[in-house]
Amino acid sequence: MRPIDHIHARPLIFTRPGGYVRGMPAYAIEVKKIYKTYADGTPAVKDVSFDVPEGSCFGFLGPNGAGKTTLMKMLYGMVKRDKRGDTRASVLGFDPATDELAIKHLCGVVPQDNNLDNEVDVGANLYIYSKFYGLPAREARSRIAELLDFMELKEKSKAKVNDLSGGMKRRLVIARALMNRPRLLILDEPTTGLDPQVRQLIWDKVRGLKREGVTVLLTTHYMEEAYQIADTIVIMDKGERVLEGNPRKLLAEGIESWVLEVLDEDAMSAFGEGPLSPGVRREGGDSRAQFFSEHPEALREIAARLPSGAAHIRPTNLEDLFLRSTGRQLNDEQ
Amino acid sequence: MTSSRPYPSLASRLGSVWYRHFRTYTKDLVSNGFPPFMEPLIFLAGMGLGMAQYIPGLAGMSYLQFLATGLVMTSSMFTAAFECTYGTFVRLEFDKTYDGMLAAPLTVRDVMLGEALWAGTKGAFFSLAVLIIISAFGLVNFAAALLTPIVGFLTGFLFAAIGLLVTSFVTNMNHFNFFFTGLLSPMFMFCGTIFPISNLPPSLRVVAEFLPLTHPVRMGRVAAMASGWEASLLLDLAYTIGVAVLIMAFAVKRLERRIVK
Repeated sequence: MRPIDHIHARPLIFTRPGGYVRGMPAYAIEVKKIYKTYADGTPAVKDVSFDVPEGSCFGFLGPNGAGKTTLMKMLYGMVKRDKRGDTRASVLGFDPATDELAIKHLCGVVPQDNNLDNEVDVGANLYIYSKFYGLPAREARSRIAELLDFMELKEKSKAKVNDLSGGMKRRLVIARALMNRPRLLILDEPTTGLDPQVRQLIWDKVRGLKREGVTVLLTTHYMEEAYQIADTIVIMDKGERVLEGNPRKLLAEGIESWVLEVLDEDAMSAFGEGPLSPGVRREGGDSRAQFFSEHPEALREIAARLPSGAAHIRPTNLEDLFLRSTGRQLNDEQ
Repeated sequence: MTSSRPYPSLASRLGSVWYRHFRTYTKDLVSNGFPPFMEPLIFLAGMGLGMAQYIPGLAGMSYLQFLATGLVMTSSMFTAAFECTYGTFVRLEFDKTYDGMLAAPLTVRDVMLGEALWAGTKGAFFSLAVLIIISAFGLVNFAAALLTPIVGFLTGFLFAAIGLLVTSFVTNMNHFNFFFTGLLSPMFMFCGTIFPISNLPPSLRVVAEFLPLTHPVRMGRVAAMASGWEASLLLDLAYTIGVAVLIMAFAVKRLERRIVK
């Protein structure tokens, strides 16, 4: 663990062994030492703990196979966590292992796949879903009108699902998740594969919901997405929490401010192992070399020793931090 | 009690799952409603115009009546079995319908039980459709036969449970062939639909008594003819309900383990 690893500022509140106070928790989600090993022996999540304050947005970043989706699914009972004496989990005051229905009633979930009912139109998709929450017909109809308006799908109410674009389908799934005015919204890769306009729109909507006090849990592998909407990010790798903190702070503390990138293999082999000035860290081989430093002058010195145009210097971003935390090698699931 | 529960009641949850299937099925009412009316029509027209005149009557009815009142329940069986094998498998593996439903306040048990109730409803509807056709042929008295859709519901529920259990084992859709060709087709032949099981050799008669279609067919024929009532029908009723509940419980257990990892 690194020093910047976020510290759990407040302890979990236990009233009886294995239980939590029901009602209004200080945190929307409290998870302590959660583990998941699948039936085939694959350890998907190992010793993960985090607390999500009510009304904030937590973003889980990590490569495919890092355990993000498994972690989300454990929170609403779609995946059973390992039975261990030291594990604690509370979602809006309920334990997912025993109170699956209460949690799902208070949460909205946007799963990774758009599992919509293709047989019926947009409005009917929402109406069918409203029945799962037991909403009376009149209330359901006014809520659906509100949601179509909010997700900018008003004109599409009578459209067939198969005629919608990818972005519209995604917005419909989000509208569906908002049906019961959730206190907690779980978004599993909400914008994967969407164009920049739709992504911006979805981020706007999520920020709007956050302002209304909705707690948001997000998984993504877009650094930009985490940076845009998360108050706290957790970087996961191989089922473990690698880093946790405010994205801006993590960036400031977790990696040098500047990077020089060289994508010219010939230039790099000519450069060789060349001596580096103090405070410069080199990563990568000849095909994609990177030099990190707090001091842009030190990087400019290196650039001067390379053919012109072979290198460029830019501020570091979350992706650099992400790659530094999770490594560059591909895993089995990528 | 209801005030402390922060989510919908069991009845409301089952009703909502049933409603989901109702809405998606009735969206294409014309194409979905075509087979239950058309299939018995073709079968009875062919048999009635052709074969039936060579076959003497039995058990106090003409052969055509015997056959027609047998088809009432096989129709329920096939629709429920299809719904809860191919239909369920597609929702489970391809459309990921359950992932969406299970994100709402529903459990796997709610979803599967709601599915079986829907398949039962289809069973009732299909037996009603056959009843309408065969009463139009003048083979039964429609007004006297209105218990038939209730038997159709039970038949649908029974074969939904069996279908769900089969589905819980299946990982490749082609494996359903074993179920349809290996179990349902023989049952169609040997469970009293097209000839009485008393015509079977004694050893096979015992086998037929254990097969699930035998009992709904016996009840369905009496309900459709509105005659031939006897106390032993209670055993058929007990078998149908008992086996349906037992298999359903087992199927739900297995599907829970398959869906909630």
